[in-house]
Amino acid sequence: MATRVDPGGYPGRRRRVARGKLVGVSTQAAAYAPGAVLRRVLTEPARGRFWRELGWLLSSTPLSIVSAVLVLAGTAVGMATSPLFIGLLVLAGVLQLAREFGRAHRALAGRLLGVTATAPPRRPLEPGLWNWIRARVGDGPGWRAFAYLLLRLPVALVELFFTGSFLLYAIAAILYPLLWQAMDGQAMPVFDIRSEHWASSLGYAATGVLVLFATPWLVHGILALDRVLVRALIGRATLAEQLRALFGGAELSERVRDLEVSRAVAVEDTTVKLRRIERDLHDGAQAQLVAVAMKLGSAKDALAESDVDLDQLRALVSSAHAGAKHALVELRDLARGIHPPALDAGLGVALSTLASSAGGGVVVETEIDRRPPPSVETILYFTAAELLTNATKHGGLPARIAVTSPDGLLRLTVHDEGDGGAAVVPGGGLAGLADRVRTVDGTLRIDSPEGGPTVITVDIPLRR
Amino acid sequence: MRVVVAEDSTILREGLVELLTLRGHEVVDAVKDAEALQAAVRGHRPDVSIVDIRMPPTHTDEGLRAAIALRQETPGCAILLFSQYVETKYAADLLADRAGGVGYLLKDRVAEVSDFLDALRRVAGGETVLDPEVVSQLFASTRKTDALGALTAREREVLGLMAEGRSNTAIAGALFLSPGSVEKYVTSLFGKLGLPPSEGDNRRVLAVLRYLDS
Repeated sequence: MATRVDPGGYPGRRRRVARGKLVGVSTQAAAYAPGAVLRRVLTEPARGRFWRELGWLLSSTPLSIVSAVLVLAGTAVGMATSPLFIGLLVLAGVLQLAREFGRAHRALAGRLLGVTATAPPRRPLEPGLWNWIRARVGDGPGWRAFAYLLLRLPVALVELFFTGSFLLYAIAAILYPLLWQAMDGQAMPVFDIRSEHWASSLGYAATGVLVLFATPWLVHGILALDRVLVRALIGRATLAEQLRALFGGAELSERVRDLEVSRAVAVEDTTVKLRRIERDLHDGAQAQLVAVAMKLGSAKDALAESDVDLDQLRALVSSAHAGAKHALVELRDLARGIHPPALDAGLGVALSTLASSAGGGVVVETEIDRRPPPSVETILYFTAAELLTNATKHGGLPARIAVTSPDGLLRLTVHDEGDGGAAVVPGGGLAGLADRVRTVDGTLRIDSPEGGPTVITVDIPLRR
Repeated sequence: MRVVVAEDSTILREGLVELLTLRGHEVVDAVKDAEALQAAVRGHRPDVSIVDIRMPPTHTDEGLRAAIALRQETPGCAILLFSQYVETKYAADLLADRAGGVGYLLKDRVAEVSDFLDALRRVAGGETVLDPEVVSQLFASTRKTDALGALTAREREVLGLMAEGRSNTAIAGALFLSPGSVEKYVTSLFGKLGLPPSEGDNRRVLAVLRYLDS
């Protein structure tokens, strides 16, 4: 859940910014300093990235050959028997196989190409062979993996061919001056490398060195195609989603999804709150008042009798009196739970009132330049109240509540000296708080090592 | 009377027990949920049970469902449903078995202690008692129906009091009429509702049910 600080208000932007920065830093440094460019070019063949890419080419190509052959053979068998039930069965098997091979490619690409593609979701299977066939044949990711395996084979062969040629040429050309004497005027067995004089063989060596240093960049370049294929065909996102992401639509759709979720939370929250208020009224003040009316009714009837039992009457009236006072307290508490009156005077006053009602040991600091909107104040107040309750429950006093407004944010920090170990558990109190805070685009971050102290920070962006 | 009380609110449960005991009734059991209610009624066979509709675990209509189940086991098993809201639907469900001996009152009614105890006694005696609030809701929801359209304002008033379980004499007292004219109104509204005199049926209950069904 939203447990990390996220200045953009939603995770998509954070990731994007981080990625952009990384790429930007390295290329900019290279562009500005000629020395750095040279160092980069000279060290590139020795870098891990290049070797991992070679590893990917060498390991994935045999895998691609095997998978393409098996999948194609399976399809051929399926086609040959297609009018029969058995054809469908084979097709379903092929698609399942394609998914598995896709998974193997994805794992390899993750390790060697650094492509982080999430696995496409698996639909829950219903029991029964027919259901299995239907699920497999109607499985979009299965078909995408199938397409991937068919496309991947030629791509892999072309990639391997170019990379191999470059490397072979570089090695042969660099070795040529050393072997020139021994070759005795004959051409190298590859690329027809041959020169009349030893001095001109050095020219070959020079081109070989150039090619050697160019090879890593060539490999980076051609493997870009592989990265696109992996993301588009064996990752979670479909090609259309990839394209949308490329043109910036991803942020928007992510934002829309985020808003949908947080709106649902807000609506649900309101319903739950209203139901709770109804329950509290029904079981609390309403029941109290019925009991009061019942006792006063009895008292009235007792008064109407000729011989009034004063003791009984006194007991009834004082019991009714106590009940009425009790109902008043319940109503006041309930009203405060709906909207704390102190909040009208500002967050600072409301939080101080809250702190004093929690007993000693709670310090409140408020440093905000202007008043946030009431909705934000209310959410922040109830978040603080719940966090304070948690802190008290886990022996966290003394505690400190601070509200500050660093650039465009309203930040609530609740610091306590409890045992620590607080975490967001699905369905737990903190998860609920995080969800509620998200309805106003806020985030909740927890820093709570075992043994404490616990610091919980809530950031809510303020609209300008 | 021997009474079973089923009410999950402690204050109200104890209040009712105190009230009934004070007025010389015997509370044979006071329970806080529907399951315990069924056990208590089977075990004690009380003259009447006072049952809260909303009880644990779901706090919706446990009391009503327990009441219906008990009356299926023992037709005419006297039950006074007791609730902070009235729902016409609940009244209709409760009256559906047409066996009498049921009541449905707002909890507020307990403020008029004597009236409340009177209603309880009538339910124990096999009569049907509906809260005036239920009755007015019934009238509101059936205002458009033909049967009601045919009734005069006076006849509606009489039917309302009848649904509250009052006798003709009590109705006459409430409306400042002579028992004879109440008798006339009752006969006239039976006619308009298509309820001919018969030996086996309680026409007063049927008249109220006519509204519940429409």
